[in-house]
Amino acid sequence: MSEDRLRAHAAEPRASAIRFEGVRKQFGDAVAVERLHLEIASGEFFSLLGPSGCGKTTTLRMVAGFDQPSEGRIFLEGEPVERVPPYKRNVNTVFQSYALFEHLDVERNVAFGLKRRKVADDETRVRVREALELVELTGREKARPGELSGGQKQRVALARALVNRPAVLLLDEPLGALDLKLRKQMQVELKGIQREVGITFLYVTHDQEEALAMSDRIAVMEGGRIKQCGSPEEIYEQPSGPFVAGFIGVSNLLAGVVQNGAVKLASGDSCVADMPSDCPPGSEVHLSVRPEKIWIDELEEGMVEVKGTIVERVYVGTTTQVIVELAPGMRVTALEQNTARVHSHDRWRIGDRVRLGWHRQHARVLR
Amino acid sequence: MSTTETRPGTPGPAADAEAGARPAPPPRDFDRPRFLKVFTGVFFLVLFAPIALVVLFSFNSSRSLQNFEGFSLRWYERFFENEALRDSLIASIEIALLTMVVATALGTLLAYGLVRARVRFSGALNVLLLVPLVTPEIVAGVSALLLFTQVGLELSLTTIVLAHITFSISYVTVVVRARLASLNPEVENAAMDLGATRLQTFRLITLPALWPAIVAAGLLVFALSFDDFVMSFFTTGESPQPLPVRIWSAIRFGVTPTINAIGTFMLTVSVITIGLAIALPRLLGRRESGLGVLLGRENA
Repeated sequence: MSEDRLRAHAAEPRASAIRFEGVRKQFGDAVAVERLHLEIASGEFFSLLGPSGCGKTTTLRMVAGFDQPSEGRIFLEGEPVERVPPYKRNVNTVFQSYALFEHLDVERNVAFGLKRRKVADDETRVRVREALELVELTGREKARPGELSGGQKQRVALARALVNRPAVLLLDEPLGALDLKLRKQMQVELKGIQREVGITFLYVTHDQEEALAMSDRIAVMEGGRIKQCGSPEEIYEQPSGPFVAGFIGVSNLLAGVVQNGAVKLASGDSCVADMPSDCPPGSEVHLSVRPEKIWIDELEEGMVEVKGTIVERVYVGTTTQVIVELAPGMRVTALEQNTARVHSHDRWRIGDRVRLGWHRQHARVLR
Repeated sequence: MSTTETRPGTPGPAADAEAGARPAPPPRDFDRPRFLKVFTGVFFLVLFAPIALVVLFSFNSSRSLQNFEGFSLRWYERFFENEALRDSLIASIEIALLTMVVATALGTLLAYGLVRARVRFSGALNVLLLVPLVTPEIVAGVSALLLFTQVGLELSLTTIVLAHITFSISYVTVVVRARLASLNPEVENAAMDLGATRLQTFRLITLPALWPAIVAAGLLVFALSFDDFVMSFFTTGESPQPLPVRIWSAIRFGVTPTINAIGTFMLTVSVITIGLAIALPRLLGRRESGLGVLLGRENA
């Protein structure tokens, strides 16, 4: 029942929810966002991912209406919004600090938006109850924010925004203040809630794991620009450049020079790889290989192979990181699963000479 | 405090267990020497003894200012029977109330502007704001007097109120600004995000959050205005004069015990006002005390 009422936008065709056209934002001399072209579909879970200061929060604030673009336009559901003040935009925000109203109880916090929009009291009561049900806070209606735990505050903030059934929900690092375990749990719940209500989520985070776990699509930002935009798989498996490869997950970036259709590493090893068209022979490139794609010693036929010395072994529970030095200053990390059968522990010692290998499609040549 | 008191030869943990119900006090901390207590005691004695004497002799049955000869309320009767003094008291209360209302409203708005406007020279403005707090009152008084005579304003209760408001605004702004600075701006953003206009946001979100500071600042201003002498002295008209000025005039013709009674009365009003400033936020259902608010402490 409650789902039906909240699923306001799920039935509509997948139209554009937000569109950025050449948006640029400048604060004084500092450029926060540059040449932003982006379209987010209705019902999508879209993440802006990047280190702090990359412009992701500014982008969010421009959609909410707190900041105005210096150039370019933003469209919400096809309509330009530069003249629409924040309180008239059909978007709601979940703030990093939750920004709950301390002098109001949970119920009145959640009802705040409906009251401003002059929704009838009966309907307000029903919708507030449903929203609190959705975030599993039934029974805490009369509590003040000061009496709630961090996770509960986070849920109130979510309910307070969702109850208005906005076209787009903006989330500014909403899980940033929670501890790791709660954060993991809330990631799953948030994704579930988003699927249930069908509202477009624009999610800002610096946590790559969080973005990978929840998003339909991710835009990786750096220095005010989008470096790559795509599904989590694309971003992870086919990073477009050294920044994305290094920021998403762990990656080995090996410097080398293109030679005879392979990358000649500084260690002298020559690695065959699929060469992008913009890397002519002689150009300096990075070879990116994910640690979990690297095999140690027991290699298969046709694998790209390098040799090195084990310099460190780091046990991290489900896996063990094996760090291998190919040449002085050139290290590669490989991940070994600690399965029931084998423990990398017993297999290698520091100082052992080993062969490392990977399938050529798992290595990416990045300029 | 009592937990740190210790007698020589404190029994150890073993003896403590034998003693049963009475646990031995823990050994004295080395960073709490005994002379500090003595020093503090002497300090408060010197601070309050003269005031205590005034209060005591206001209840004296004789005219003497040296010997206390018995309890009586006759000097209080003198005070309230004297029409000129009564008028002065009423004038002082009127001045303080008006000053409180106007200065609190203006000071609050000024604080809001200073914190939220994000203007380029807000740093300089913040320093300028402190100038009235450190300006010698005699300078402020003389300049107010010069200004009023210059523009041809007749000295009256109005001029006193104007003068009081000018110096009180800074106090209000300092107190309210501290509170406002500790208020997360995202909370105001959230209200607007949920459909509240700027004005509704101020009324529904900002004002309730500032309330304790505003109440405390207002009562502080009342107390400051009520017992102000220097400013009032320079800007007062002939009649009625505020109470402190009246006392000063009366003393020139000799100190009577009535002065003690008036002094005690004024002290009581001030103490009650400041007491309210500290207690009211708590009574209004907040978990913080007005003292923290007045001292600009963040959410206690």
